[in-house]
Amino acid sequence: MANRDTILLVEDNPDEAELAELAFKRLDTEFNLQTVPNGEEALDYLFASGRYANRPEERKPGLILLDINLPQISGFDVLRTLRASSSYSLTPIAFLTTSDERDDIVQGYELGVNSYLRKPLDFDGFAQLLQAVSNYWLRLNTRI
Amino acid sequence: MLTRWFKGDETSLRQAFGCRGIGRRLLISIILFSSVVTLLATAVQLFTDYRRDIGVIKSRLADIESSYMASISASLWNLDVSQLRLQLDGILHLPDISAVAVHESGADLDRPLVIELGEFSSVNVIEKEYPIVRRFNATDRIVGILKVQASLKDVYARLWDKAVVILLSQGVKTFLVSLFILYVFHRLVTVHLGHIARYLSGYDIAAPVSSLALNRDSKGEADELDMVVNSFNELTDKLVEAYEHMRQVNLALADDIVARRRAEHEVKRLNSVLEDRVKQRTSELEAANGELASFCYSVSHDLRAPLRRIEGFRRILAEQMEETCSDQQRHFLRRIETGTQEMSEMIDSFLQLSRATQSELKVISVNLSDLVSLAVEQLQSEDSERNVEVKIEDAVWVEADYRFAAMLINNLIHNAWKYTSKKEVAKIEFGCQGSGNERVFFVRDNGAGFDMRYAGRLFSPFTRLHKSSDFEGIGVGLATVQRIVARHGGKVWADARPNEGASFYFTFWDRNRDGEQGYDTAGGGQSG
Repeated sequence: MANRDTILLVEDNPDEAELAELAFKRLDTEFNLQTVPNGEEALDYLFASGRYANRPEERKPGLILLDINLPQISGFDVLRTLRASSSYSLTPIAFLTTSDERDDIVQGYELGVNSYLRKPLDFDGFAQLLQAVSNYWLRLNTRI
Repeated sequence: MLTRWFKGDETSLRQAFGCRGIGRRLLISIILFSSVVTLLATAVQLFTDYRRDIGVIKSRLADIESSYMASISASLWNLDVSQLRLQLDGILHLPDISAVAVHESGADLDRPLVIELGEFSSVNVIEKEYPIVRRFNATDRIVGILKVQASLKDVYARLWDKAVVILLSQGVKTFLVSLFILYVFHRLVTVHLGHIARYLSGYDIAAPVSSLALNRDSKGEADELDMVVNSFNELTDKLVEAYEHMRQVNLALADDIVARRRAEHEVKRLNSVLEDRVKQRTSELEAANGELASFCYSVSHDLRAPLRRIEGFRRILAEQMEETCSDQQRHFLRRIETGTQEMSEMIDSFLQLSRATQSELKVISVNLSDLVSLAVEQLQSEDSERNVEVKIEDAVWVEADYRFAAMLINNLIHNAWKYTSKKEVAKIEFGCQGSGNERVFFVRDNGAGFDMRYAGRLFSPFTRLHKSSDFEGIGVGLATVQRIVARHGGKVWADARPNEGASFYFTFWDRNRDGEQGYDTAGGGQSG
């Protein structure tokens, strides 16, 4: 069974990751936020391989937040790999990015992303966005 | 072409001048006419001879009366039979007289004396009766009748012989004359006609030989054949001339066609060169556009992300220092916030502007009126305290890219909304003037307006005509409008006065821009 309280954040910029962690701390709900700095590590984590080989694989994150612009393996590639795998074909995945390029949005949804989130400029708005998306995919959407 | 007219085969030639030719017809005509004339002449001559013969007989019969009547009368009176016989025999021996008889007449005669010599006939005879008168007692008494018959047999026989001789001699003469005429005609005409025909049948206008000449001694004045030959030679000269002219024209045409073909080839070659060049330029342009696109992509990501982080950390810092920081520190934090906000807007506008220049147009029918209504509604909901009179012309349709049209209208309405913010009663109007391709759309407001001296800079990016403390903005909106209008083949211009409002006019698909809807990718040149 998925651990609903775990959110995997794939973010290469440590400042960005720190801000996200700070934002999550302000939320009403506590989540187990796991941050990885690139696509390779994200896949290692999710499929319990490499440096995450000891992680029990069945403990899947309930929500994956993906940056698009990642070094080497891009956010799209990670998404494609996950949707192609049996374990993560249905896991909620959201793009969390500063870009609002139409092409990115269209491609993201075509590859099966659940949400495309554009990070707002102000920090409060960012925190609210994280709250909303987490609540939706980890609470509302799975309550049925 | 022309030679075919003159070509005939040998049989038709023989037909024309041989058995069915002019010669034969001429011969028949001459014989017929000559025969008719001969017959008529013969008939006239025979008739004349006949009349003359008859006349001779009649005068002879008249002579009989004068030379024999007195003696016959005396002989009959005396009933001298032997004398009578002698006298009658004398009459009978006259030429043509075939029979002669004397009949005695008188009321008191029982057996009148009848003497007949020769044989009386009822056909082909001339008969004459003479009363035999005897003067007796001073009165003339008819004592008998002398009957003389002249036979026409000899006359007819002579006439027949004469007719045969005349007809034979005339026939032979006619035939010989005809033959002679035919021969002469043949020598004079037919031979030359044949020659002319052969010449004509072998005539080739493409390779003219020497001119036509008759094979005979030319002496004296020119006859009809000479005239024919001369006329024909004149005709052929003219024909040859015309043919030569035609050939020259044809050659010129051929040259022309060759030249034209060469020109066409050249045009094709130039076209393909041009096409290649266009392809090259297009690919260069595409590459440049691609670079620009990736640049915009970087801007959207890479400039925004650090800006967000600055703002994020500022916010956390502000929260943490909330109670301990000085007013000055708080002021600095707020300035950082304002700066990041401005920069963010600038990035957004910049992206909008560059997208207006680049992305592909998808032209559909767009209702500008609806777009204006939407923009106004949105602004009204964001700024519900404003009192703005909005007048929108109904159903203004235009062929345009929907996103860009919306962007255009949003920018203009935003501007109008913004620059009327200091008016108590703000007025914004949208509509269109003219019709067809001449339509001019406008957005008019009664806001701050501007000095027309600066109108030239209006559509340049990052240009502002007002102080930012009066009106917010970074000056990219109208530059974006200009780009969008230019890409729709139109123009945009403004008319304004300070504090009396501004009118922005724009057109789509102007006719003078290459006639058709040209998709302008470069983005026009009014800004600069």
